[in-house]
Amino acid sequence: MSARHILLVDDEPHVLRVLRLSLEREGYTVTTASDGHAALACMAQQLPDVLISDIQMDGMDGRTLCPLARATYPDHPFLILVMTSMTALDERTWARAVPDTEFLEKPLSPRQLVARLSRHFAALPVMPGLPPEPVHAP
Amino acid sequence: MKLNRIGIILIACALAAITLVVALLLVRQQASQEAQVRNKGVGLVKSLSTIPIALLAESGGRGGVLAAVLASHDNGDFAYVTIGDANGRTLAEIAGSGSIAPATALPASAQTAFGERDLPATGGRAPLREFYGPLLDRSAGIAFVRVGFYQPRYAVLPQDISFLALLALMMFLVVPVVYLVIKREMAPLAALSGQLRQLAAPGRPDLQAQDDMRELAANVQRYLDQASARIAQLEEGSLNATADNRLLQYGSKKLNAALQSLPDGLLMLDPAGDVTFASGKVEPLLGIAMDRILGQPLENWCSDPALRTLLGRYSGDLRDNARSHKVDFAPLNVEGRQLSATAQPLSGGHGTMSFGTLIVLRDVTREHLARQAGNDFVAHVSHELKSPLNVIGMYAEMLADSDDESMRVESLNVIQDEIERMNALVGNLLNVSKLETGSMSPERNRVRLDDLLRDAHEQALPRAEGKQLRVLLDLPRELEAVAIDKDLFRIALNNLLTNAIKYNRPGGSVTLAARNEDNDIVISVRDTGIGIAPADQERIFDKFYRVSEAGTATKRGGHGLGLYLAAQIVELHHGRMVVESEPGVGSTFSVHLKIVSAPAGAAVL
Repeated sequence: MSARHILLVDDEPHVLRVLRLSLEREGYTVTTASDGHAALACMAQQLPDVLISDIQMDGMDGRTLCPLARATYPDHPFLILVMTSMTALDERTWARAVPDTEFLEKPLSPRQLVARLSRHFAALPVMPGLPPEPVHAP
Repeated sequence: MKLNRIGIILIACALAAITLVVALLLVRQQASQEAQVRNKGVGLVKSLSTIPIALLAESGGRGGVLAAVLASHDNGDFAYVTIGDANGRTLAEIAGSGSIAPATALPASAQTAFGERDLPATGGRAPLREFYGPLLDRSAGIAFVRVGFYQPRYAVLPQDISFLALLALMMFLVVPVVYLVIKREMAPLAALSGQLRQLAAPGRPDLQAQDDMRELAANVQRYLDQASARIAQLEEGSLNATADNRLLQYGSKKLNAALQSLPDGLLMLDPAGDVTFASGKVEPLLGIAMDRILGQPLENWCSDPALRTLLGRYSGDLRDNARSHKVDFAPLNVEGRQLSATAQPLSGGHGTMSFGTLIVLRDVTREHLARQAGNDFVAHVSHELKSPLNVIGMYAEMLADSDDESMRVESLNVIQDEIERMNALVGNLLNVSKLETGSMSPERNRVRLDDLLRDAHEQALPRAEGKQLRVLLDLPRELEAVAIDKDLFRIALNNLLTNAIKYNRPGGSVTLAARNEDNDIVISVRDTGIGIAPADQERIFDKFYRVSEAGTATKRGGHGLGLYLAAQIVELHHGRMVVESEPGVGSTFSVHLKIVSAPAGAAVL
């Protein structure tokens, strides 16, 4: 099985660097982008298994990127994880319309992220071609 | 009673008038009868005087001409005809029945001219009117003819009675008409008379006494006093009413002016829910023309659902008018405005009567925007604080997990940077807050900038070292003094230097310089960094504005308060901040401050 591909989107270079190091150490292939436009450009090159995105970004923000990514590649199954420091519930309503989208609470722990991804990939069927099991928001 | 007397007087007057008219008629009739008699007499005398005496005196007058005269004239008033000579003898004579010719001598003038005379009554008959004249025939000497007629009687003829009666009737018919007209006109006077009598009545026994006149005068005087007092009272009442009316009008106008000049819009609804009053401010607040609002039912003009619901509570069957309600809404017809409407029932004070509802419309756009800005600010600040915490948390975890030495050093550096960033943010937040609430008032003193700039330069050196930057200081030999708050100005300088270091590239430089320029002192911070795109240059002094790195959306670790704060401080010193920048080459921030000429003896700190 080839390495799982993760796309990281954030406008904080420190966040990108730490998460990239943590995920690469676990054997994932990691691509980074600083906003939605850059992320869509990366997806055009290589589709990720998981898209991890910040919400507040200049240029295209996460709120636009996530539905757009899902709509652009409807046949490609991938998990979307949204990093947010906004805990207010109404900030999350927009994500209900996007399937397979979950939230990661800031401050984000790289360890928890790695564990979350392991659970996700363990739950997926090994046979390629089968649709992945839907992942529901907690 | 007085009126009755007037009626009696009127009747008497009418009778007198009738008598007078009748008398006049009679006199006139008599005159005409006399004229008739005279005509007859004169005519008869003249005709007889031409006749020959022989014919007249024929057979003593029993036959012939005189007999014919008698026959034609004997109708009551004819008395006699005699022919006599100058000696007084009667030559011929005829007389009406029962009449005799009086033997009265003729005057001398009768020989030559015709004449007439009155003769007194004789034998119970009426007085006579005699006409005489000489005969033309003088064959038997001078002779005279005398004709006598009875004077007409003063008597009402039977044929005149009906005419006189008719006349009297008409005059009597006029009397009641005149009486009624007078009575109407005199009624107030009659009342006055009655009152006068009433007033006089208690004093009536004294009226017969010696001082009755004085008593009456006193009564009349009292009445007159009362009447004039009453008139004065009425006049005063009228004056008061006019004054009250004017006062009321004035009060009403004053109230209206006060209501119109209120900054809030006022609407008054009657209990049915129609608008009975709307102040002028309502029109611009709601964007609805006044004539569409006034006196119109709610559905016709109110397009805002929230306001409609509120007003609906106070009208018709849904009335819920015991309490006041409040609603905030954005009016449909006015762009970008937020209104607050408060409805308050107007009760009569006893809780039973309702005058309707008072609605106050208030423009709360500013409060709304301020609240929104406050919410945005809190969201922004919490995000700005959470971002470095997030990074610190991640690096701390990595530090714990990693054995790699370079990784540990990097982690520690990042953690230290982020802590510094948070510290700067909190410090700047406090300063901005002080600036905006006005609690930070600059203590301006005349200061030589040299020391301040040297301090700032020294503080910047260690921060620049880690990034392989040179920090240069460029000061002229003599620098004019300026009036500034040292502590505040240090914050501004530090923020400019921090930015110049942060947005520089390794091997670059930062130059802190100052120079005299006309009446200004110009302090500049020049870097050889990434530069600022022209589009960003206008906004870099805005609060929370952060410039993205060229070509990407990546933010450098700023918080968007440093330049804002620096610009605010410079503005507080009545200076100005200028930025020149070229992307990829570097930026220069210049602070222009007015030189303060030293007052005599002023100390320079």
